[in-house]
Amino acid sequence: MSSSEPGTTVPGSNGPDRVLTAEMVAEIESHFDRYPSRQAVTLPALHIVQERLRHVPLQAVVEIAELLDLKPADIQDTLTFYGFFKQDQPHGETRAWVCRSISCALLGADQIRKHLSERTGLKPGETTADGKLTIEAAECLGACEFAPCMLAGTTLYKRLTTDQVDEFLESLEQPHGA
Amino acid sequence: MPDFEPVLLAGITNPDNHAIDVYEATGGYQTLRRIVQQSTPTEVVEIVKASHLRGRGGAGFPTGLKWTFLPDDHPGPIYFCLNADESEPGTFNNRILMEQDPHQVLEGLILSCFATQARTAYCYLRYEYPLALERLQRAVDDCYERGYLGHNILGSDYSLDVVMHRGAAAYICGEETGLIESLEGKRAWPRIKPPFPAVSGVFGKPTVVNNIETVACVKHICERGSDWFKSMGVDPDPDNPRDLGSHGPKLYCLSGHVERPGCYEAPLGITVNELIEEHGGGIAGGRQPKAAIPGGISMGLLRADEFDCPLDFAGPGTYQCLGLGTAAVVVMDKTVSMVDFLHNSCQFFAHESCGQCTPCREGTSWALRMVERIRAGKGRLHDLELLLEIGNSIGIMPGTTICGLADGAAWPIKNAITKFRDEFETYIRETNPTGFDTRDPVPALETIQLH
Amino acid sequence: MPTVIVNDVEIEIGPDEQINGIQAAKRAGVEIPHYCWHPGLSVVASCRMCLVETGRKDPESGDVSLVPKLVPACQTPATDGTVFVTDSQKVMDARAMVEEDLLIRHPIDCPICDKAGECTLQDYHFQHGREERRADINPFTSRRRSLGDTVTLFVDRCVMCTRCVRFCREVTETSELMVTNRGTDEEIDVFPGFPLDNKMSGNVVDLCPVGALGDKDFLYQQRVWFINKRSHVCAGCSTGCSIDIEENQDQIYRLKPRDNPHVNHWWMCDEGRYGWKHIHRADRHVQAYRQDQLDPVALDGTTLAEELDQQLSSTATIAAVLSPHLTVEEAYLLATYVRSKDPAATLVLGHVPVQGENETYASGFTIRAEKCPNRRGVEEVIAGIAGEVITWESFLESLSDSSPEAVWIAGGYKSDWHDDSVAQRFDSIPLRIVQDTFTSPLSRAATYSLPATAFAEQAGSFVNHEDHIQSFEQAIRPPAGVIPAGQLYWRLLDRTGLYQSQLVLAEIARAIPYFNAATEPPGELGINLKLNHLAS
Repeated sequence: MSSSEPGTTVPGSNGPDRVLTAEMVAEIESHFDRYPSRQAVTLPALHIVQERLRHVPLQAVVEIAELLDLKPADIQDTLTFYGFFKQDQPHGETRAWVCRSISCALLGADQIRKHLSERTGLKPGETTADGKLTIEAAECLGACEFAPCMLAGTTLYKRLTTDQVDEFLESLEQPHGA
Repeated sequence: MPDFEPVLLAGITNPDNHAIDVYEATGGYQTLRRIVQQSTPTEVVEIVKASHLRGRGGAGFPTGLKWTFLPDDHPGPIYFCLNADESEPGTFNNRILMEQDPHQVLEGLILSCFATQARTAYCYLRYEYPLALERLQRAVDDCYERGYLGHNILGSDYSLDVVMHRGAAAYICGEETGLIESLEGKRAWPRIKPPFPAVSGVFGKPTVVNNIETVACVKHICERGSDWFKSMGVDPDPDNPRDLGSHGPKLYCLSGHVERPGCYEAPLGITVNELIEEHGGGIAGGRQPKAAIPGGISMGLLRADEFDCPLDFAGPGTYQCLGLGTAAVVVMDKTVSMVDFLHNSCQFFAHESCGQCTPCREGTSWALRMVERIRAGKGRLHDLELLLEIGNSIGIMPGTTICGLADGAAWPIKNAITKFRDEFETYIRETNPTGFDTRDPVPALETIQLH
Repeated sequence: MPTVIVNDVEIEIGPDEQINGIQAAKRAGVEIPHYCWHPGLSVVASCRMCLVETGRKDPESGDVSLVPKLVPACQTPATDGTVFVTDSQKVMDARAMVEEDLLIRHPIDCPICDKAGECTLQDYHFQHGREERRADINPFTSRRRSLGDTVTLFVDRCVMCTRCVRFCREVTETSELMVTNRGTDEEIDVFPGFPLDNKMSGNVVDLCPVGALGDKDFLYQQRVWFINKRSHVCAGCSTGCSIDIEENQDQIYRLKPRDNPHVNHWWMCDEGRYGWKHIHRADRHVQAYRQDQLDPVALDGTTLAEELDQQLSSTATIAAVLSPHLTVEEAYLLATYVRSKDPAATLVLGHVPVQGENETYASGFTIRAEKCPNRRGVEEVIAGIAGEVITWESFLESLSDSSPEAVWIAGGYKSDWHDDSVAQRFDSIPLRIVQDTFTSPLSRAATYSLPATAFAEQAGSFVNHEDHIQSFEQAIRPPAGVIPAGQLYWRLLDRTGLYQSQLVLAEIARAIPYFNAATEPPGELGINLKLNHLAS
């Protein structure tokens, strides 16, 4: 991350302090004609940035605001409403959401989460030092028939046992990831 | 009861049903073709109205009636928002429909948009459903290719665009106007009503918001007619002019302590017992049931001796629950502590409260703090009175909040403490023998506002 | 006429009026408590403090049917037959609930909070709240963060009414303020590097119903119960915002806007809000001097009028320069006086300070480039007496051709308004009387250098850019040694008794047609002279 103070970059400049790549900008702009208002592209833009950078740093917020003709506070207001977006640090390569809602809780999700925390040394929201894994507590993942569940990336882990948690953690160590 | 033929889940027996070729081969999009080439929007509205279809998203508002709230002479554009933000704990039927029968949903969506003359449909899909996104996006792309979407659908003068819009893990985006605010790019603070979305919705234009299962029903109503739809379910009570009845097939989500958790289709009105025994394989491990959520956690709790409650729009209310909700039944056996249940519920609602209006923001947080303190062995009997007071005062029904999240937060509190009072009192007395009967304020477990 | 019923009291409202329950109740003499509603902002109905019962009264049967659920009065239109009930147990319970809710996580800061004494949370607690605290207790004090140069935020005192955020989005359209997070984690904040720095920033402090937003200028300066509020008019520009000057023992502590639908509604700009510092500068001109050859001679206020009159009586030609900082009455009295000495006295409109361009905001509120309060008023006084208005610039030009024997320059400017080269143009004039708030090249070169009052010390009237006249009394007394202009001119004119600006205005209204709508004293909100001009 650059050391420049966010907000001091000249709008429109393409200096080294800019965070959004041309590809990201093009992707964001491709959404413009889907909505009658630029502000509606806020969530898509936040997703586009977080999918590539694994977080949405302050400078990215400034640049998104420029693209959408809004103020940084407008974007930040929306960003922080959703606990989904990280800002200060990128989340891990794999972000593992363990559901804590009622159906999963009834079928042992608390034990799964505790086991995961103990094995990784992480509390929900935290990331391993090597940047490989973040664990999060999720609200109902909508897969209650497979409780207890965990969503890691786009993979849904069903009827999770502590043994399967161990297997999952081991799979992260492999070079090709989970 | 005659054997029930699945309607909504008919397609998923074929695992490739999500592909458009398979869907078309079994007659898919024929109804769309017929309607869009031969019917008028008004005719479709009338069929849906006559079917007595009530929204499947949780509120049960009559769908056809909702569509008639759109202004007649508005220059437009009219927008349709497909509510795919399914986040009510215990609920997963929308996920199954989107993953395994996306074209059923799309055909229903296009028919609904045709009826309401919407030009653009935004499908607001929760981020946690990556497979649903993949399947739906593919289905939308295929529909454009085959002329079911886009300009001049199937040679008619009706055009429709569908845009997939991903959420970001906030339950309140499932609330109609919370969804609209989120779609517009703002924090999902629900709007005050009036104006209602039909008059002024997304981008200030007339908007209809409908649930995934609801539009899937629209497809079948258009295909087989409103009489067929009304032949299933529970007719309105003739002596009660405000009873709208409960018609049509319903997807019931069953989870928790049952042998076979899953999504089961039945006509509206089966009881909790029937769902557990005839579909769910009974209580898991042959244990004893204790309680069940009737329709997603917002609806509250039924005691085991209340499992004869019919799961239609009117039934749960007669057992002091909030309503049918999403018809998601979560079963708890006797190993479950109601204190733990209430903690899980209060934690959910405090986390998901959007924070806009005072009674919900503060009430859900206060309730959680009290339950945490009770659980930590520092509870008072007086806390139960305060919890009940919160439960009885927050919500859109008493008028104290802007949206129904507060009602959803309130009902589990009310039901749990009222129906399991002894358990709560015993827990408090046993875990806090020296302090259970004081009414004095006690020190909080932790700083209330964390710095 | 549509009739609205509030707790059995019937009030009539205008046929096309669009008011809500809070406004209707106010007319019936009933206060409905509220935090988030403000007439100048969008309706969000989020605080839930204004919950009332509502219904309709059947015009024929007279039966009242109430809706079973509570509704926010702020979002309920008051129409013909609407019933509001604000005093039932249901309503009182709801208010107590909201008040209790807001206090659960509120820091125990009253003893150190600026807002104490004018705090809505405090007031409503006493009026509507519960007797005792029922929630867990863990006393703490608020965090504090700066939002910009002029506004600070005590984060934990905020009740999330979002008035401040809505102000920045809707009125100034600058969107510096935002809400962050969700639920009870919500806080107000600015984005790093984009502070709250628009020209109307100070209004958010007015809007805040609790002690969350603080004005850095006023913070910890004075407890509000020691403060006197004096209705007045801002002298920052020709918008002429209605204000309250808040003072204690003649020391100003802050200015706040007064609601005037004809002028500024609820707002004032920062330049005006903080534009009173010059009044208390240590280098205020406070002593009258006669420049005798080399040394200035201090003059006694009691004999000043006599000496000046003597001097002016022996001059043939006089010019009076009337600054647009003078009140209408002061300008009229001085003009009348010099004309009594020299019937052909030149009357000049003093230097009109102009800075930048007019800036208009979404609501129509405008910060004007003309940085003085009374050009219109002084202009019309001069026109009314002399028939034509000579500008300062053309007067300066004319000095090279011909100059009067005496010139009286009445200033009252906030800061430097001319340089040495301007002062030099007056060197040839034998008698130079300069009346101003601060020393300047002209005052240093004057024969008589007189201290002038600043706007808070004036009593009289200003006319704004669109002919709206507002009258006010003296808010603070000037420093000892400064004789208010009105008083001095009154004495010069040999009028008996004390100077009373209202009497002078009435006289002006009869003498100069432009002012004839002000024959009766304009009320608290002033009156528009053009719209109410009486046909002669």
